Formats: sequence, structure tokens, C-alpha cells
Amino acid sequence: MILADFGTSYCKFLNMADDGSQPTILSTKELPGNLHVDLATGHNGRRFADRYVNELIALARGGEAMIASRDYVLLDCGSRDIKFVAYTNGKLKDMGWNTECGASMGFTIELLEKYYDLDYQKMRAPDKTFSVTCGVLGMSHIFDAVIAGMPVSAAVARLIKGIALNAYRFCGSPDRLYLSGGLCANPVFVGSLPCEVVPLGRYLLLKGLARYAEYE
Amino acid sequence: MRHPTEFMEDYDISRFKIVGIVGIPPLTVIRALNEAMVTIHDLDARLVTASIDGVSPLLPKVYCAILRTVVLNAMHLKLDAIFIDVGPGKCDSALHVSTILRGILSVPVIRTRNTDVVGFGAPISKARQDLTEKFLAITEGVKYAMPVPCQFKPCKPKAGFWGVPPRDFSLLEPFPPTTHIYGWTRCMENKTPANEALEAYCNPKVPTVFFAQSFCAKTALAKFLADRHPMALFMDVDFSTSSSAMAKVQAFLELSGALS
Repeated sequence: MILADFGTSYCKFLNMADDGSQPTILSTKELPGNLHVDLATGHNGRRFADRYVNELIALARGGEAMIASRDYVLLDCGSRDIKFVAYTNGKLKDMGWNTECGASMGFTIELLEKYYDLDYQKMRAPDKTFSVTCGVLGMSHIFDAVIAGMPVSAAVARLIKGIALNAYRFCGSPDRLYLSGGLCANPVFVGSLPCEVVPLGRYLLLKGLARYAEYE
Repeated sequence: MRHPTEFMEDYDISRFKIVGIVGIPPLTVIRALNEAMVTIHDLDARLVTASIDGVSPLLPKVYCAILRTVVLNAMHLKLDAIFIDVGPGKCDSALHVSTILRGILSVPVIRTRNTDVVGFGAPISKARQDLTEKFLAITEGVKYAMPVPCQFKPCKPKAGFWGVPPRDFSLLEPFPPTTHIYGWTRCMENKTPANEALEAYCNPKVPTVFFAQSFCAKTALAKFLADRHPMALFMDVDFSTSSSAMAKVQAFLELSGALS
């Protein structure tokens, strides 16, 4: 059985038939048109799969698979959207999916790294932030700051911090946050979250699909 | 304040063949219309296919989708009169919409204030049946003075839907047949739309979606109740149900055990 998480920028795959197989990743723009999988999630998943699981369910099932605690907040930051589930005493307490105002935050962060030729692994979370409503609108803060003489890397870091704070507030400002998605590997983003962060990587939704398949 | 039925002295109902209603006018009004064999259109519902953009010159785009639909219906349907409830059983926004309707229509736009207190019961709200069908039965019932006949059997609830009938009924599709209806929709079936206590009632043991139309005053009550409910999802939806709104409902129902 082939599982897939069809994200906006990247697609992740797991072949359950191979013991110990590791997930693979492919840029969405490189997806072959005739691709077909057994079980999918992600905004683009219905086109390529026999069966589809919505992303919030995949996220929650992934949390069940990877988090031992019965009380937690799990946030997934994608290229285009952010979503979270919150559990108390092992029961669903809250959830959210922001496809509008959180739009394109992950995409914007990656775009800026390439455009300005930055290396986020060599950068740290800044002390100050830009107040941003979304990634795209927030970019004008960077342009203004650079014109005023701020180094590009510092300006971009402030934008990332603003985005991180938005995401943090969106999921209820928890003391401890379990983080899913490609931004787990971004030290500026993770360091900007004002709480304890437990990064779970970018394959959590695949693990959720695997858990979902077990239930069936 | 005029009595809700004083309108009868001002208007000869026998002149009316087809009227529109907005909200739930008092039972005396509905009964009089039924006895006069007047055809009633529920203007809160989607009755015409014209683009909603047609109401933009009259109403802000950021406005209750139900009331925008009311104005759209009123612009396109041939009606002899409109009875619009503007009392505690509806909302202040309807009052202002009635002013607009009076400004653009040549037919009488008659304001009512429904404060009916005699309950008719809510068997449909508690029945085992497809949720969309239950909503259709309840909303159809506002046109009649008699209780809504219920052909469905009662059931124990596994899920709850609290709120008003959504403009877009596709939101109801993921719910199981064992979903109980709460909030203003139950008040509709009970024919007591201004019954605050009944509107605020919900079952804390049942996973419940607390719904209101975006930009509606009831969003405050929906969120307040959802915050205090142990298994709740608050959501507001505007004109149509987005894929993320639908996904949230699906996920909530599955993860809260309502579908198991």
C-alpha cells in the first residue's frame, strides 16, 4: 500500500509493503501526471488516490502515533496553510485550519531564502518581530526595513518570527507545542516560537495515514 | 409598541395570493395566511438562481448571508407582501433589512415581532434521520400554523448541531442520522423563536458543532456555548461551505467518536 501526503510545495510518500521503508519526498511541481497511490491526504490528494483522508484527521492520527502524552497541542505548518489539533485527557478539545490568513507562510519563507540566497541553518531567531497578518503581506515589511538599512537576513528573520507568533497564537498559545511540517527544520522559525517546541518532522501526516489504514 | 397582530387591521389578507416571510412571524400571522390559502415563500431559503452580487448595491458584502439571500429573493420573486419578523425571535439586522425592502419594493413590507411562548415540541430535532432531511422538514414547517408532522423515530444523540439552518445545507452532510438539533432551529420547530432558554440549551454529553452564519449576532452565543461545552466545535460559515470548513466538521465528528 502506498501512502502519500500531497502538499502544496512537496509531496511525501511511504510504501507500506516494504518493511522498514523510509518516506521519500518529491517537489510537487515534479509530480508525474499519471501517479496513483492507495491512500492520500493533502489538498491535492484526491486527484491521485483511491481513498482520501482529510488533513486534520491525518494530523490527529499522526499525533496519536507519535505523541505519548494525553494532553497536547499539535501544529502543522505547511506551505500554504496551518492547522492544529488540541487534546485534553486523550480527548479532542479544539482544532483549527487556517487556509486564508495563514496563507502561504511556509511558501513565503522558502521563497525568501532562495530569493535572497540565505541559509536559515546559519541564522538565529531574532529578538524583535514584524507584525504580519500573512506571509505575502508581510514581505512589504522586509522591503521597507531593507530600504531603511537593515541587513536582509535580519529583516527576513523578523518576518519569520512574526509568522511563527501568528501560528502560535492560532493554536491557543500552549506552553508546549508539538510541531509538524518542513518548518521543523528551520531554526529561525522554531526558535521564534515562545514556548517549548517538540519538532516531529515533516512526515507526521504519513504516519497518520498509516494509523488510519490500521484502523480500517 | 404595536401588538404583533395589529397588522391585520391595516392589511386585507384576502388581497394576497403569494407572500414572503422572513424569520418566523407570529403564529397568528401564519394561521391567518393559512386560512386565507395564501402561498408562502420562506425568503430565508435559497429560492432563486440569480447571482448574490445583485444585492451588492443594497447591502454590504460583509453581511449575513441569510439576509442577503432574503433581499435577493425579494428582488426576484413576484410577491403581494412580505412579513418580516424583526423581534427577539429574529435579529436587529432584519429590522434594517425591512427598511431596505420598504425602500425598494412597491408591495407592503409588514414588520412583526414574534414573542410566542406556547411550545409545539421538537420531535424532528430528536429523531433518527438524515440531518439534511430533518432541516428541510423544520424549515418547511415555518409556513404552517400546525405542528410539523414527524414521521421519524426518536433516537439517542451521538452528535449535535446547534444553531440556525445554514444557508448552505451541504454543511450538514457529514453528520450521522443520530444527530440532534439544538439552538434556534429547535426553536423554529417548537414555534417559539424568541425562547432564549431553549435556544441556549445543549447536551454536554454529545459532541456538538456550534454553528452561526458569519456576521450574525448569534456567533457570540455560539462561541460562548462552545467554549463551555466539553466536546465542541465552533464555526461560522458565510455564503457557502468552504472545503476547510467541511474538513473541520468531518474531522471533528470522526475524532470525537460521533461516527463510531
